[in-house]
Amino acid sequence: MKTYKILIVLFFSLFQLTKAQTINWKSLESSRHILNTAIGWDYGLTYNVGYGFQLKTKAPIVLNAQFSIPSGEKTFDDFNSKIGVTLLLLNSPNLKGSITANGIYRKYDSPFVCMQNFGSELKGAIGYYKSKWFIAGEIGFDKAIVTHFKHSSIFRESVYSDVKDGWYEPATGGNFSYGLQTGYSFKKSDITLNIGKVLSQDFKTSPLIPFYTKIGFNYRIN
Amino acid sequence: MNLKIMAVAVLACLTLYSCEKELYINEPGNMVPKTVEGDPSLPSISVNGTTLHAETFGNPDSALIIFLHGGPGGDYRSGLNVKRLAEDGYHVVFYDQRGSGLSKRHEKHTYSIQLYLDDLSAVIEHYKKAPNQRVILFGHSWGAILAAAYINKYPTQIHGAIFAEPGGFNKDLLNEYGGASRKLNPLLEKTSDVLYYDQFLTGRENEHEVLDYKLAIMSSFSYAQGNDEGVEGPFPFWRNGAAVLQAFSSISENEGFDFTTDLDQFQKKVLFIYGEKNKSYGLSFAKKEAAFFPLAELVQIENTGHQMIHFNWNSVYPKVLNYLTSIK
Repeated sequence: MKTYKILIVLFFSLFQLTKAQTINWKSLESSRHILNTAIGWDYGLTYNVGYGFQLKTKAPIVLNAQFSIPSGEKTFDDFNSKIGVTLLLLNSPNLKGSITANGIYRKYDSPFVCMQNFGSELKGAIGYYKSKWFIAGEIGFDKAIVTHFKHSSIFRESVYSDVKDGWYEPATGGNFSYGLQTGYSFKKSDITLNIGKVLSQDFKTSPLIPFYTKIGFNYRIN
Repeated sequence: MNLKIMAVAVLACLTLYSCEKELYINEPGNMVPKTVEGDPSLPSISVNGTTLHAETFGNPDSALIIFLHGGPGGDYRSGLNVKRLAEDGYHVVFYDQRGSGLSKRHEKHTYSIQLYLDDLSAVIEHYKKAPNQRVILFGHSWGAILAAAYINKYPTQIHGAIFAEPGGFNKDLLNEYGGASRKLNPLLEKTSDVLYYDQFLTGRENEHEVLDYKLAIMSSFSYAQGNDEGVEGPFPFWRNGAAVLQAFSSISENEGFDFTTDLDQFQKKVLFIYGEKNKSYGLSFAKKEAAFFPLAELVQIENTGHQMIHFNWNSVYPKVLNYLTSIK
């Protein structure tokens, strides 16, 4: 049963559709490559880099990879990596709607515990797009499906000596997000902004800082 | 061919991995210790409609020293050095407050200040052997605030009090101390350590194990290098009760509180101790809190911070013993 669940997670991580970047579909045109960098607040002050590859298909499809780390003295002890695809499902001249899904692998390391998680993220966006600018609403759900916990000797000595390390199921977390994305496009570039709120999956509680924001820069290459 | 070999290797690894026992985050005892409800071997008392993790040291007929731990939601593990006072002729009582530490959990909406005062009355009644047996409160941090709340309401029941850095006897003082001691700098690792894991773990209001575990992980912030409270390093605790902390935070935010209104009626001498290295407290804050009492002694504990009872008991002990001797 557990193997089955992990295979599903890996399947989603490797092949599922995803959106990693905020795209102006109207200015994307025939660009094949999108380089992206961003800074924002996503469970901490984060720095992001990403790459998108547009497939040669009738309806636009963009394959994506994204990597982000939070601020701090230790550079790669915490990170979030995503891969996937974005599909443009609604493609009228100015009104466009996309659906995206990410497979996620992320890590958290503190003096007490190291967590590694496989998860998935589903997002949808719909909005008004012009060649120079766009604005859209977005909604998403981020699920931490299976998490490995490895506790430090400090935790065992000062808190709980019998804490159990290992893979924890069922899902250890899940957060909804909703907000706006907007951007300005010029030449081969976009400057984008995402802003919104985060809610836990029970719709009653929320993370300590219950919002996200991201200012990004895309550079498109044909 | 290579792809097939890789697929077989991945499946083999997964099969091996899947042989590990499945773990559930809500299973009691997996991530946080079991409370008195799940572990009958823990010392406990049943009072005022709950079960409290509690233990005592010393002669039951001696003057009572009731230790009140910090939090809200913490426990008395980091205060256990206080049991040394049993050798000086005191009956030292430790208990984890309702819903805190290893005491029985309750739902968030059930907590109130008055309930905590009633619990303390019940604990005193449980251990008091004679009407003239003296009762002294020894509170640390939130526990010292609770001690002030009790004295403010029942001044004749208490014969002395030791306050180790209470972080605010009313809401204004609490905000002042909290603002000074818990600044979040988003550039620092210690800030990421208390925020970034919200994407890994979420707990519903009644998922106590998850919420308590998250709070435990968050506590590394309090002793991170350069912390304002001068905490030397990791200090021991069993469990931080998240529901308790959330409940009292809501009460403070929505209703406010002021435990100083009748402190001037308390005619016994009280002792304030504060750590030299706690930049957020210091003599100036101690003076503000001591001013509510007619008779207060202020003592700085050298070379330590907010967790002075755990990290520098050798310096705390003689000051406390001097005070206890002076009020005999």
